[in-house]
Amino acid sequence: MTIEALPPAGPGGGLPATDPAPVAGTTSRGVLRQLVLGDRQAAFGSLVLAIFIALALAAPIISPYSPRGKVGPVYAPPSSEHLLGLDDGGIDMLTLLIWGARVSLLVGFAASLMAMLIGGTVGILSGYLGGRTDTVLMRITDYFLVIPDVPLMIVAAAIWGQSLLNIVIIIAVIYWTSTARLIRAQVKSVREQVYVKRARALGAGNIRLIAKHVLPQVTPLLVANTVLTVATAIFAETYIAFLGLGDPSQISWGKLIQNSLSGGAIFSDAWWAIVPPGVCVTLVILACTMVGQSMEDALNPRLKVGHLSVHRFRLRRPPLKAGAE
Amino acid sequence: MRGADYVVRRTGAALLTVFVAITLNFVLFRAVPGSAITALRCFHCTKQFKAALEQELGLNQSMWQQYTIYLGSLAEGDLGTSFTDHRSVWQNLKEPIMNTLPMLVIATVISVVIGVAAGVLSAWRRGTRTDRLNTWTALSFYAMPTQWIGLMVVFYIALRFGFPVAGIRDPTLGILEEPSTWTVIADRLRHLALPALTLGIGLYGEYALIVRSSMLETLGEDYVLTARAKGLKNFNIVWRHGLRNAMLPLVTLIALSFGYILAGAIVIEEVFSYPGIGLAVINAIDQRDYPVLQGAFLLLTFAVIFFNFVADLLYFKLDPRVTA
Amino acid sequence: MSRRGPVLRVEDLHVWFDLPGGELHAVQGVGFELQAGERLGLVGESGCGKTTTILAVMGLLPPNASVAGRVYLDDRDILEGGENTVAPHRWKDVAMVFQGAMNAFNPVKRIGDQIAEPMELHGTATGRATRTRVAELFEMVGIAPERADRYPHEFSGGMRQRAAIAMALACDPQVLLADEPTTALDVMVQAQILELLVRLSEELGLAVVLVTHDLPVVAQTCGRAAVMYAGRMVEDGATADLYHDPKHPYTRLLFSATPDLYAEEHIVSIPGAPPRLDRHIEGCPFQPRCDRAFAPCPTIAPPFITVAPRHAAACHLNDVALERTQ
Repeated sequence: MTIEALPPAGPGGGLPATDPAPVAGTTSRGVLRQLVLGDRQAAFGSLVLAIFIALALAAPIISPYSPRGKVGPVYAPPSSEHLLGLDDGGIDMLTLLIWGARVSLLVGFAASLMAMLIGGTVGILSGYLGGRTDTVLMRITDYFLVIPDVPLMIVAAAIWGQSLLNIVIIIAVIYWTSTARLIRAQVKSVREQVYVKRARALGAGNIRLIAKHVLPQVTPLLVANTVLTVATAIFAETYIAFLGLGDPSQISWGKLIQNSLSGGAIFSDAWWAIVPPGVCVTLVILACTMVGQSMEDALNPRLKVGHLSVHRFRLRRPPLKAGAE
Repeated sequence: MRGADYVVRRTGAALLTVFVAITLNFVLFRAVPGSAITALRCFHCTKQFKAALEQELGLNQSMWQQYTIYLGSLAEGDLGTSFTDHRSVWQNLKEPIMNTLPMLVIATVISVVIGVAAGVLSAWRRGTRTDRLNTWTALSFYAMPTQWIGLMVVFYIALRFGFPVAGIRDPTLGILEEPSTWTVIADRLRHLALPALTLGIGLYGEYALIVRSSMLETLGEDYVLTARAKGLKNFNIVWRHGLRNAMLPLVTLIALSFGYILAGAIVIEEVFSYPGIGLAVINAIDQRDYPVLQGAFLLLTFAVIFFNFVADLLYFKLDPRVTA
Repeated sequence: MSRRGPVLRVEDLHVWFDLPGGELHAVQGVGFELQAGERLGLVGESGCGKTTTILAVMGLLPPNASVAGRVYLDDRDILEGGENTVAPHRWKDVAMVFQGAMNAFNPVKRIGDQIAEPMELHGTATGRATRTRVAELFEMVGIAPERADRYPHEFSGGMRQRAAIAMALACDPQVLLADEPTTALDVMVQAQILELLVRLSEELGLAVVLVTHDLPVVAQTCGRAAVMYAGRMVEDGATADLYHDPKHPYTRLLFSATPDLYAEEHIVSIPGAPPRLDRHIEGCPFQPRCDRAFAPCPTIAPPFITVAPRHAAACHLNDVALERTQ
């Protein structure tokens, strides 16, 4: 028989075997606070994203030239008037980059938002209602999952991809499934929590329950997942544009990369047409990854103490005895 | 055999997925706005020609009839006829597939080797600057658009060091004299090297991150503490207990990443003008050669489904704890 | 086996953990000694630091830990040089059976190989000799020798624990540290494992530290017991003495908190919870929950004083010099 009469220990119990640090709070406010104040990685990522978003939004105001106007010779190198030179159409590269940010970021965020809406709805319904609905929805999700994403994306873009809206829809439809699964799991666990059961016993209706209890618990994870999906969406847009399948009237970073190939930038030794668009895409994707990952880490801390390390435990001199002897 | 019923079930699931893919393929291409024929771009395609083609392809029949015919010809291995050169789709795709395969294999090997090395190093030196540097490098390469890495490689490396940037073989070989097998192989490798290397670098990031976290997780397991308690040196623990267990997820991940490596191969082939299946797909898109595109879609999808299936089986076989 | 001194002696052991939230003083000045063939029960509730203590004895602490104090193995301080001086003694002189043998074994390696591993490492046996020795060990702990070629998941919980004990004995150590070896096992199996430990200790002269929160286990198997609370040792003595004549209120409450199956007494429980170890504690750590606390308790930390031969406790109640107000 064990000492059941004694209450469990406080923090710091059995340290080498369990998680050592207390969780920084799983409320939305807690996560945000951790993000902005505590986590350098997330702060840096957020900063980078903010800069790009600001640039994109301010494009009409800050872009030095028009994105459609030829202002000089083909592939003119960078100069004081054109910081990043000109492209194969004689258009200012810096302008193109800024305007390209608009499209790339727009597609990224819009597709991700749409994927979040679809996946989140499916996940919440599936996890909350359970039973038949759950099975059916999960079957559908599975079928979406098993069809390889890239061939499908290529074909869909080839058939329907000529407008920006279609591209957004295509990306969202292909990538909503992981969100659905994640949210479903979270909803299932929230549903089993005592206060939800209590609320239901008190007669609260389903919609009210979902809105007041399930949603607040699920939202932080949903947001974290959405941020990570933005990275995937931008990557996908870049890919589609490279294959020549995007909206032909829009400039995006993906399109700029494509242009550098078809316009012969390599053989014209025009690094300013090749390097910048890719750098921008990489930076934004990295930033999204930083922020999204930090958020997910804050929500699902898996701080396992490793047993091996190059570092070893340290020796200290014993503390002097305080207090009366 | 252990878990024979598991294998049967996974096979069934895979076959079902194949069927869904086939149907999807059919539906998608019938959904082309206008019809596949009207969208066709070719020189000699007059209106009468297109009408005759439509008749010939049975596109004026009911959907259900078309579907049945479609399934029937697939069962015979007939993927259709190309719109542009009128050879069978399979003839059009066979050689490109053969060209792409070695590139995929080499790229996978490269990315796995670098990925494992980077992942283990990071896990080993967890929390140090090496770890952070390593991790962010891996993440950065993973974030870069594959085609862009290709362009950078061509621009900065290929031209500078005299690597070939187009095609699969040197066109001047065999003109003056019959080249030896070794020369042919060496030439092929030279043309393969950069595309495969680029693809490998673009992909290693994923493996590095997974290996790192898998390794860290393994190093936090109780049996690692036991090994340490038994007096094993750190290196031995990693080598004997850590790697084997940490690599388990890696094997299935490699199989599951096939889709991703294929996607990368497509754009890399465009950048390097490498005549593989990727380039075939891109050309088919440009020319709106739907039969070839359809055939390629099917083959690629089958390949990915196959590798996912292999991943399922591998995971089951490698971990003695997993029961059906 | 005649020894004059204790085979294991721990003096003034401190362990700190450097955590994101601050520093945790997990073990605060713990000391005990162990003679050959003696079994010491280390008891206390979850989180009191008993597991950390025995991990520290073998130097098996994570990198965010720092240690102070002395651990004497045959009169040599093995903790003196940190990892370098502790490591050579692992398994050869001091071995451990971990909490939950479920995971102590590598799931993808055969049990026999894992037991042979330390033997080959420390030169206890090589090649064919290891197989013989493994078979011997299995027999000692009561497992059929042919099971050495099986995987851990093919063993039942009780058998795995026996295998873990066999593995611990592989290099013929002098000290065995057993961390909750019977938690998560059912009662019948528990009894068998304990019986095994007692028998091994008597036959091989093995000194055993048995960490547990389960008092009847201690009563059954250990001649001596040490009670820990909030990282400190509060009482240390013969098990019978602790049971019949406890000198610390915590010990007393602990033993009376264990319900007797046949008695009609009402269940006693100790209200409150143990203190946090990331802050300095003023006075006696048990004072807020103590039923006999008096004037000096909140402000002066009670020293660990001997109250009888080989019986010591950290409580002001034992200090005759202090003013007593009931």
